[in-house]
Amino acid sequence: MHSLVITKWEFKNTLSSKKFITIFLLQVSILILMIIFFNSFMGNIEPGKNVALTPSLTGFASIDVVDNENLFEKQLNPDILKINRMNYSIAYNRFKNNKTTGLLIVPSDALEKIDRYETLNLSLFVNYNDPKRSVVKSEVDSASKSLSSIITNEWLKEISPENLTQPSVEQTEQGEPLPLQIINKVMIAILLFLPLFLFGNMVIDSIVGEKERKTAEILMAMPLSPSNIILGKSLAIIITIAFQVILWMIILLSAGFNIKNAILVYLLVILTSIPIIGITSMIAAYCKNYKEAGIGISFIYIGIVGFLVVPALAYLSGSTRASTISPMTLVMKLFSGETISTTDLVIPILIIIVVSLISYSISIQLFKRDDVVFGPRPSLFRLFFEFIGILSLIKYIKSKIL
Amino acid sequence: MKILSLAKKEAYDILNNRIYLLVVFVQIFIVLGAFGLALVSSIATDPELLDQFQVNTEFKVGLSEELEDSPLAHYLKDENLNLIYFKSPQDARASVGSEVIAAVDIKPSTQNISVEIDTTSIFYPVISQKINQALNNYNQAVKLQNSGLNETEIKKVENPINVTEIKINENDKADIALDNPYFVEIMYGFIVPFILLLPFFLASNIVTDSIVGERERKTFEVLLMTPLTSFMVVLGKIIPILLFSLIQSVAWIFLLNFLRVPIYNPFIIFTLIFFIGLGFIGVGVILSMLVDSTKEANSAITLVLVFATFILFVPLFVNIPYLNAILNLIPTVLIVKISSSPHIDPGLILEFIPTILLSLIIFAVAVKYFKHERAIRL
Repeated sequence: MHSLVITKWEFKNTLSSKKFITIFLLQVSILILMIIFFNSFMGNIEPGKNVALTPSLTGFASIDVVDNENLFEKQLNPDILKINRMNYSIAYNRFKNNKTTGLLIVPSDALEKIDRYETLNLSLFVNYNDPKRSVVKSEVDSASKSLSSIITNEWLKEISPENLTQPSVEQTEQGEPLPLQIINKVMIAILLFLPLFLFGNMVIDSIVGEKERKTAEILMAMPLSPSNIILGKSLAIIITIAFQVILWMIILLSAGFNIKNAILVYLLVILTSIPIIGITSMIAAYCKNYKEAGIGISFIYIGIVGFLVVPALAYLSGSTRASTISPMTLVMKLFSGETISTTDLVIPILIIIVVSLISYSISIQLFKRDDVVFGPRPSLFRLFFEFIGILSLIKYIKSKIL
Repeated sequence: MKILSLAKKEAYDILNNRIYLLVVFVQIFIVLGAFGLALVSSIATDPELLDQFQVNTEFKVGLSEELEDSPLAHYLKDENLNLIYFKSPQDARASVGSEVIAAVDIKPSTQNISVEIDTTSIFYPVISQKINQALNNYNQAVKLQNSGLNETEIKKVENPINVTEIKINENDKADIALDNPYFVEIMYGFIVPFILLLPFFLASNIVTDSIVGERERKTFEVLLMTPLTSFMVVLGKIIPILLFSLIQSVAWIFLLNFLRVPIYNPFIIFTLIFFIGLGFIGVGVILSMLVDSTKEANSAITLVLVFATFILFVPLFVNIPYLNAILNLIPTVLIVKISSSPHIDPGLILEFIPTILLSLIIFAVAVKYFKHERAIRL
């Protein structure tokens, strides 16, 4: 009951803070920017083509093409190459003056040669001084293969039109390509879990702030136990996260993202926030000031993000055994509409419960100690030895000997 | 002289701050990690490189036993695919996604080919490429056989285009860690600008820490009482931070060169990142004026840096033709062009103007706000 008083007080304070509202709105605008980026990226993916997570820099490398009959130029990829079609003398001078990475020379009588069934000999000058040479070579190679295939087919049509039957190829694909899964599933999962990491500063402000502002003494003097304080403060932040996640989910669903089992997904994300806030409270309870706590959560959050994301990526690449430990994997399975086994459900929830129990117990124990809250603060080693009972053992041995 | 004293004190603070030094150290791992990731992913998507590294045992393709020693099996083998034979085509198909990555079959009645492939496999792009190549070759061979041409004619029809590569400047060739298009695109197209701008993300934090920290420690008023103008105070604070960031960027340029990712036109890049840095630090100063505590400054700077990341890095991954004229002026796009080209068009320097102007405006606003802040505080 006392915890709820603290929760109400903290929550009211948060909502009445203009700065919190500003930060909250900025976070929403970041989400909208991410949605725009995501939609733009997905819009650029051509159906049936392999998806690669590479930059899409127009004109990254450059090539000049001497192609009087405009035979080859249209086969080159203008998304990667900056293609200039020009006459030989200008093109050669440009290439000599290092204005381009490559120079492709197509014979001036290319069409006549094709008509005469003669092989087309093309010259590709490549500037090896330029690191983008492999890009130019690869693009010319692809264009040459595709043009070769067109010419061969045309020749065969003319040589032997009656014998052109060839086996057809029918390709069936199983599942979603890995890069597309990474973009689709990981992106949605990251957007859903992101609010969980945006409130670390609030936890620090709420717990370390009491120490820095010297209000912890007043708080401790009130008829509240350390567990009331820690749990009450944490609950206020979990409620704030719950509001933010619901808002983000509404925005994502309105933007057309397909999130199946939305309620279960929501509950699991909120459930995951409980141990994260617990761990953050643990750091905040031990740290002396904002700076120290800030560094502490930066490192711990890297570990938590790793714990959530790495198994999720392992699940996408087909490894199923270890991937079940992460709640993010379960969330991905839920919003993709996959069948959930008991193991899929039990392991992450068990981890959430165990980590929550441990982290909140440690936070409460730390907040109970005057030396941790008011100083002089004991070192982490000392706390650890105390926890495993070594210090009591030493004391016992000393008392026996003396 | 007065500015120098303040700058020296700030530099001393930075160099004695273990957290900043730790962050610099962490950046080395980021550079090495990004380079390693680009290297591994380039190898994983290049069929020729994978053949060189002999990882083709993983490229398992299922066929029915009837197709053993068939021309189709030969064409698949020529692409270095690991063929696994099953009793029936149905068995092969049922193993896709578990035992094999793909199953290929020919219908005896029509001679049509069916391919079933698991797209979730990490090797899907390579296997798909290899199977397509094998099937194209097979189809072409069938077509040529049916055409009634003799062997010399077939050879000619098979290869209507012959591209001869003429290597120029081979003696002076760019020494790149992996001569592969994907590696070159991902390194120069994203990782190089990301690494070079990384220190400036830290710089914004140092600025807010320095200014807001002074206020929190109640030393800000003392600083403003010294015989220094607001401009001198701002300059004294930002010079060491800017230098600290620029030195890091230069160190990453050396590290990248050492890793055999040559960075071209370093002096021009240095000029560009100097102005980008000025902009970043200016934003840090403005934010410091708007917030009351380090905690608020940290939250605000995190959000601003997320916005900056969007503005600077999203243009590298999206292709919006009607915005190309603007996107080409984004500093990261300029860094890509300059760092990857041994010879740049001098006209490209003109494209720096918007970045320089914006940075100078941000810096001017920062100085003005600083003066305003001084008036309010005192």
